[in-house]
Amino acid sequence: MTTTIAFANQKGGVGKTTSAVTLACGLAAHGLSTLLVDLDPQGHVALSFGLPKSPALYRCISLDEPLEGLTISPRPHLSLLCGDRSTEKINRQFARLEFPDSVLADLLTGLCFDVVLLDLAPSFNLLQRNGLYASDWIVIPTRLDPLSLDGVDEVMALMRELETGTKCNRGYSILPTFFDRTTRDTLTQFRRLVDEHGEHVWPPIPQDSHARTALDDGQTLWDFKRTTPAMEGIKSGRHHLGGYRQVLDRLLEVIHDK
Amino acid sequence: MTSDKSSESLDPAVSSLLSGMEQRAAEAQLPRRERERLVKQRLKIQARRDQRATYDLPPMLREQLRDLAENVGVPASQLATLAIARFLIDYRANKIDLDEYKQPSRSPRYDWNLIFPEELVPRTKKKKGGN
Repeated sequence: MTTTIAFANQKGGVGKTTSAVTLACGLAAHGLSTLLVDLDPQGHVALSFGLPKSPALYRCISLDEPLEGLTISPRPHLSLLCGDRSTEKINRQFARLEFPDSVLADLLTGLCFDVVLLDLAPSFNLLQRNGLYASDWIVIPTRLDPLSLDGVDEVMALMRELETGTKCNRGYSILPTFFDRTTRDTLTQFRRLVDEHGEHVWPPIPQDSHARTALDDGQTLWDFKRTTPAMEGIKSGRHHLGGYRQVLDRLLEVIHDK
Repeated sequence: MTSDKSSESLDPAVSSLLSGMEQRAAEAQLPRRERERLVKQRLKIQARRDQRATYDLPPMLREQLRDLAENVGVPASQLATLAIARFLIDYRANKIDLDEYKQPSRSPRYDWNLIFPEELVPRTKKKKGGN
């Protein structure tokens, strides 16, 4: 059975694509057949792998071309369905439909993947609603600043709106990103997030300039350097807290429990 | 979409990070001498941490270990150390066969689970004084 997980936040620049790409690579490395779908017209999933943007998603949804011929496999067990600015056109097509929320869910039904990860755009047009509707679980990456946290509230509100759909028991996790534990503001916002969302808050991803350097080189964090703070987390005594490796464990638990 | 916000239900890494950050924020308000004392105390605790490990153990096994430690008057940690060291020696000498206990795991993290028979690792308390 396929588990579909969306990465969403209405605020941009919170680490949605970096998180989706890094965790997709981690799941694939665990041997889970993984499809990463770029629902963002910026098409940054392809760039994260050093690949050119492509209209694959548009061709799949709007032109009804078979998925098999459109995906790229940059590494074993991982397939990408990339996007570019043509992704915008899908919305226009959806706007003409009577029930536009479930197109993507129908498309993903019956695929032979263990996991499908959806990288959503920082807006709530019909395609993004489709992404949330199709998901079993939603990961909400967020910086610890008021605007990004407002984006979390917006995702939660939309999730409630979509609760009437077939997948009415969607779970969610909040993933603090760009985490800098030395500032008082981080502590204040982190405490607020934990008070509001409790167990739904996942260990944070530390602020790490390597993520940007890796992107400049067209590499994922797994390829660039596996021991960066973003991968390993924050050192606390003998342990590391947070980081994509630990978050990958949480994601594996979600998939296992589904 | 409900959240249980009690600290027991928090992700352990989140809970640990948050309490560490709050502790440091509180310490920053203390007088210098008090802060230095706390730093020394923390270093002592960190030095001890290298000897600590956390594993999930069945409650009955933990209880038996605690009872034995009390009866022979030694720390339970030292008994656990002895038990693990003896196990590793026996395992390396092929005296213990893990295959006997292996069952396929559905978890993507592990290939196998070890399922122990009741007589080896009891899950329930034995009745006392039964004939």
